[in-house]
This record gives sequence, structure tokens and C-alpha cells, in this order.
Amino acid sequence: MTPISDDDSALAGEYVLGALGADERRAVQRRIASDAAFAAEVADWESRLDPLLDDVPAQAPPAGGWAALETRLFAPPRAARPRWAWLGLASGVSTALLAAVLWLGEPVQRAPGPLWVSDLVSPDGAVRLAALYDAARGEMRVSVGGDAPPPGRDFELWMIAQGGAPVSLGVMPHSGAAAMTIPEDLRDAMAGATLAITDEPAGGAPGGQATGPVLATAPLRRI
Amino acid sequence: MPEIPADELSHLLARVALRDRAAFRALYDATAPKLFAICLRLLRDRREAEDALQEVFVKVWHRADRFASGVSHPSAWLNAVARNHAIDRLRQGRAPSADLGAAREIPDPAPGPEALAINSDDGRRIDDCMGRLVPQRAEAIRLAYVEGESYIELSQRYEIPLNTLRTWLRRGLLQLRDCLAPRR
Repeated sequence: MTPISDDDSALAGEYVLGALGADERRAVQRRIASDAAFAAEVADWESRLDPLLDDVPAQAPPAGGWAALETRLFAPPRAARPRWAWLGLASGVSTALLAAVLWLGEPVQRAPGPLWVSDLVSPDGAVRLAALYDAARGEMRVSVGGDAPPPGRDFELWMIAQGGAPVSLGVMPHSGAAAMTIPEDLRDAMAGATLAITDEPAGGAPGGQATGPVLATAPLRRI
Repeated sequence: MPEIPADELSHLLARVALRDRAAFRALYDATAPKLFAICLRLLRDRREAEDALQEVFVKVWHRADRFASGVSHPSAWLNAVARNHAIDRLRQGRAPSADLGAAREIPDPAPGPEALAINSDDGRRIDDCMGRLVPQRAEAIRLAYVEGESYIELSQRYEIPLNTLRTWLRRGLLQLRDCLAPRR
């Protein structure tokens, strides 16, 4: 390799040291990009000074750090996932009141078609979700109660048709009620399907495949 | 911290370069505590250090193919990615640096007895060599490298004009370099 002058070696060292101001730092970075011998000297300085970092004890990284990173790098574009619209209703309704509460305030324009309900509760009762599906309108409403997901996590709702693979119905709001229109191609499969909630990285399961533990499942029952 | 063998880290980085997500997860678990500590030490703000840690791993994911195992030690490479990001962040938004170019004109002194450093493969070799520097220079090198102090901050700390400070830090660095790997 081309020998490097002391002057350049010192500049590379100062750069690695980090003491340079912003302008000079940028100038050195441009030089690294264009001058292989200089870049090699920078790498040498990184190795030379690295043992000084032995004095910096490791620290527990933030909880949820991996999940946030995974979502940022690997999550599919959000548009691919059905969107839930907020309804601004109270959360934590009981199943008995589900239909009435979810339809509250909605002017009845015509007799509703078949209604399906599902009541999902995790074994410890911490996660609760009630769903009501109006087959005629292809509209699903949910009410979410219980504990919010941990930081950096989201609860995701899945529809599993009989004999089919889980299809994401989107990430749930942390509490309250939401409504969405079920995509046309999924509507036929909703009758008798099972709903499931999984614990996923913030923003939903990367790649559209459930990754987290299943918190609760329940069939849609016709009422 | 449990030390991860260098060849294992190199292997993980090679897998990451091939877009192996499981290897990336293993690399994160193995190295995030150290890289987070480095960011925290430099940025001195937990929130900023958390953001920096994520940026650092995004860079590692995209640049793992640039790690050349024959040339650098994998942890030194990873630490450098973290330090570079944190220092860039530290230097942004601060007053532009004064013109420090004049410092380079001052000739270095002839090599002293420090060039006779003992040869040792021990990582703590750096302590021997730092111990051979004028104590204040060694301290300034540590403050810049580990704590992220800039030339401007150091010149205020030591009440020394910027150019003078820069001159003796550059001398200190070259002395350190020659001690770590004496030139033949």
C-alpha cells in the first residue's frame, strides 16, 4: 500500500478521535470516499484506538429496541394492511352489550344482514376484544379492552377461514372501538371463520406472517 | 460483558451481509449492549442514544458486506460504526469549527524513547503506550475518543489556544501510533 505521510496519518487519527468540527469532519469523510490509502489509515486508527473502549461497560439496550428495528427494516408497506378507523366509543364493553354499543349512533338505513360476533379473551383475561361483523355491509367493528400491548409491540387481528391460512385484519387500536370494511375477497370466508390476536412488533407482523404468541382465539358466531 | 469470539462475530457479519435475519438478531443480541453504551457515553442523553442505536443497526444491516474480516477486528468495526454515527450527531448543530489548519504546519519532534515500546499482543498494550504520553495529552485523547469532547471543548477545558491544543494532540496521536506499531 502507498505509504501515508505523518500529516495524513495524524488527520486520519484526529478524525477517528472525533475531535474535528462538523465542516472539517465532512471534508475528511469525502476524502475517505475517494482516497483508498487514506481510508485504510482511518481503518487502522479505528483498530488502534478501539481498546480504549474497553473502559466503557456494556449497558442494557432499550426494551423493544429489537422490535422497533425489525419493524423499521422488515415491515411491509403499511398500505398493504387493512386500516381501522376510530369510532371514539368507550372501551371494555361486555359481549352482552356488544351489538348495541357498536351500532350506537349509527342511523339504521336498512335492516342489517346477518350479524356475526366473536369474543376474544386471553386466558389471563388481560387482553379482550369483541368483534361484530355485518355481512351485508361487509363491515367489521371491534371494541378493544384490557391491557395495552407492551412498548414497541402491537396486537394484530387475524382471520382464519376454515382450512385456510391466517389473513391479517390489521393492527388493533390499543383501546376503544374501531371499524373497517372487510376486503371483498375475504367476505365469503368470514362466515364461520376464527379470529385470533397475536402479539407483534409495532406496526404489525413483518412480512404479513404472524410471528408473536397467539393471545386469544374465538370463532365468529352468527346471532 | 460476555466476550463474543471474534471469529463468531465475523461469521455473523458475513451472514448479515447475505441478508440472514436470524444472524442479524444474534448480532444485535451480542453487540447492542456495548454499542448502546458507546452511544450513551458520547451523546449523554438516553433518548438520543436509543435513536442512535437503531440508526447504527440500520447501517450495520446495509453495510455488513463492507466489513472485511481479514483487515479489521469485527468488534472494532462495529464500534466504529457506532462512534461515527454518534460523533456526527454530536457535531451537527454546533458552531462551525474554527480554522484549525495552521496546526498542521508545526513540525513533529524527533521520536523519543517511547519508540522503544515493548512488543505485546495484549489489548492493554494501549495502556502502556498511553502511559508514555504526556499525561495531559493521554487524558485529552481519552476525553475526545470516549467522551466525545471536541477540540473546542478541550481547548476550553485546558485553557489552551485551539491551534496549540491541536498540535499537541496530533503529536500525541503519532507518538501513540508509533508506540503501538513501531515503524521500521
